[in-house]
Amino acid sequence: MNEIAIAVDNLVKVYKEKSATPVRALDGLTLQVRKGEIFGLLGRNGAGKTTLLRILTTLIPPTRGSVRVSGFDVQKEGLSVRKSICVVLQENAAELYLSVKDNFATYARFHSVPREEFKVRLHSVVEQFGLRDYLNQKVIDLSGGLKRRLQVAKVFLVDRPIVFLDEATTGMDPINKRATLNAIREQARMGRTVLLTTHILEEAEELCDTIAIIDHGKCIATGDLPTIKSRVSPVYDLAITFESLDASTIQQIQSLPVLKFSHGENTVEMSVKGDPLSTLNLVTELAKTHKIIHFEANSASLEDVFLELLETKGVQS
Amino acid sequence: MNMILAVMYREYRIRTTSMTWLFYDLLMPLTYLLLFGLGLDRAFAGGVQTQGGPVSYNAFFLAGVLSMASFGIAINTAYGFFVDRDNGIFYEFLTYPMTRPQFLIGKIVFNCLMSLMQAAITISVGVLLLEIPFRWERAFFVFAGVVIGTAGWFFFLTTFALRIRRNDMFNMFINVAYFLLMFASSLFYPLDSLPAWLKSAAQLNPLTWHTDVLRYATVGIGSVDIIAAEAIAFAVFLVIAFWFAVRALKYSVLK
Repeated sequence: MNEIAIAVDNLVKVYKEKSATPVRALDGLTLQVRKGEIFGLLGRNGAGKTTLLRILTTLIPPTRGSVRVSGFDVQKEGLSVRKSICVVLQENAAELYLSVKDNFATYARFHSVPREEFKVRLHSVVEQFGLRDYLNQKVIDLSGGLKRRLQVAKVFLVDRPIVFLDEATTGMDPINKRATLNAIREQARMGRTVLLTTHILEEAEELCDTIAIIDHGKCIATGDLPTIKSRVSPVYDLAITFESLDASTIQQIQSLPVLKFSHGENTVEMSVKGDPLSTLNLVTELAKTHKIIHFEANSASLEDVFLELLETKGVQS
Repeated sequence: MNMILAVMYREYRIRTTSMTWLFYDLLMPLTYLLLFGLGLDRAFAGGVQTQGGPVSYNAFFLAGVLSMASFGIAINTAYGFFVDRDNGIFYEFLTYPMTRPQFLIGKIVFNCLMSLMQAAITISVGVLLLEIPFRWERAFFVFAGVVIGTAGWFFFLTTFALRIRRNDMFNMFINVAYFLLMFASSLFYPLDSLPAWLKSAAQLNPLTWHTDVLRYATVGIGSVDIIAAEAIAFAVFLVIAFWFAVRALKYSVLK
C-alpha cells in the first residue's frame, strides 16, 4: 500500500503559453497516489482536475514539472504509461454505430484481453452494470445514462493497474451509481489504484482513502478524510431534543455562538464552531437548566470542509 | 503489430455497419468509369493524344479513376476523425496502449486493403467490359501505387482533419482541395493540351504524380525517367505527410 503509483511533482500546465493571454491551469501541483488506494480529486469547475487527468493519461504534455505513472515518465515513456492505465474520460466516449457487445469487443482487443478471457469477463461486467439486455443494441439507440454505463463498464473488462475516472457516475441513476461505486471498491480491493474526480462529495467521502482538494491549479489540502477535516476549524452539527422547549430556552441558545440554528416543537438543530471540548461544555451548560432527552452530534461533512477550504485558501490564492 | 491489427479490426467493424459506405468504397470508382468514362470515350471517339500515340479515353481514364478512388478513400478515412471526435471516442483512443503512428497506420492499412479490392474490381470490369489494354505484367506496380497513393493522401488530409476542428470548415476545405487538385492534374486530360500556367501548376500537383505513375503501370503511357521522378516525389510527399499527421495527432488535444 505504500508503493507509489502516481507521483506528481511541481506540475505546471500553461495553455496558450506564447499567446498574450496564457492560461495557467496547473500551478506547481504536487501529490502522490499510493498503489491500491482510491484517490479522490476534488475542486470547483476550472480548478485543474481535468487538465491533471489529461496529463496523467498522456493526452497532453505538461509545461513543467515531473509526472510519473506506474514509475514511467508521462512525457518520455507515454506508451508504457498507457499500457498501465485505463481511462473513463469526462466526455461521453463510445462507438455509436457499433453494438454494445462490439464496443466491449473492440475495447478488449485494444487492451489485449485474450478471447476466452473476454467471454468470461464480459459476462461478469454486463451483469454488474445491468447491460445484458442491451448487448446487441447499437449504442446510438441507448439513453445517455446507458451510454455512460457502457463507457464505465469497459474499464472493468481489463485489468490495468491504474484506473482514471473523470466524473464517472455523471448521468447515472442511483442504482447504477451504486453498482459503479461497488465495482470501484472491488477493484481497489483487488489491488488496482483508482484516481477519480467527482463533484459529488458524498461519493468521495464514501469511497476515497485519500482526498486532494485542488484550486487554481494548486493542491490546497490532501490526506485521508479525518486529516482533511482537521485542516479547517472544527464544526459540529448538534441536534438536541428537550423535554420541553419554551421561548426563554430558544432565546438562551440563540445567544450562544452558533453558526446555524433552527428549531421544531422540542428539538433544536444548530452548527457550532469549536473543538470537541467546548462543544461538549456548551451542551453540558444547557443540560444544567433544561432536561435533555436526546442528543446527536456529527462532525462537519466533506462538503462543509470543501467549502470552507475553498473560501479561505481559494481567496488567498 | 497487435495494436495495428486492433485498429484494423475496429475499422472493419465500423465499415461493415454501413452498406452504403461499402458500396461507395468498393464500387463507386467502377461506376465512375462506366458512366463518366464511357460517355467521354464516345465523345472522344478518336482517342486521347499522348506522346506514344492515341489511346482510348477509357484506357487513359482508368488511372485517373484509381487515383481518384485512392483520394476518395483517404477523404472518408480522414473524415472519420470528426466522427470519432463527435462520439468522444477519439480522445479515449489516445489513452489506449498504442503509439500515435500505430493508430494512423492501423487506420490506413485497413483502408488500403479496401483500395486494393476497389482497384481489382475496377480493373477487372474495365478490362472485361471496356476492353482496356491493361498491362498485367505491371499489376504489382499498379497495386503498390494504389496503396501508396491512399496512404499519402490519408496522411495529408489527416493533418487538416486534426487541425481544423470544425466539421463544416473541413468539408469546405475538402471541396476546394478536391476541385483544385483534380482539375489541375492529369487525372481527366493529358497535360500537353493544357495552357502553360495550368500545366506548370499540374506538374507540381502530387495527384498528377500519382496518376501518371498509375497510368504508366496500367496502360504504359509516359516516359520512364519522368515516371521515376514522379514516383520518388510522391514517396517524399508521403513521408512528409506522415510526419505532419503524427505531429498533428500528438498535439490534437491541445487547446
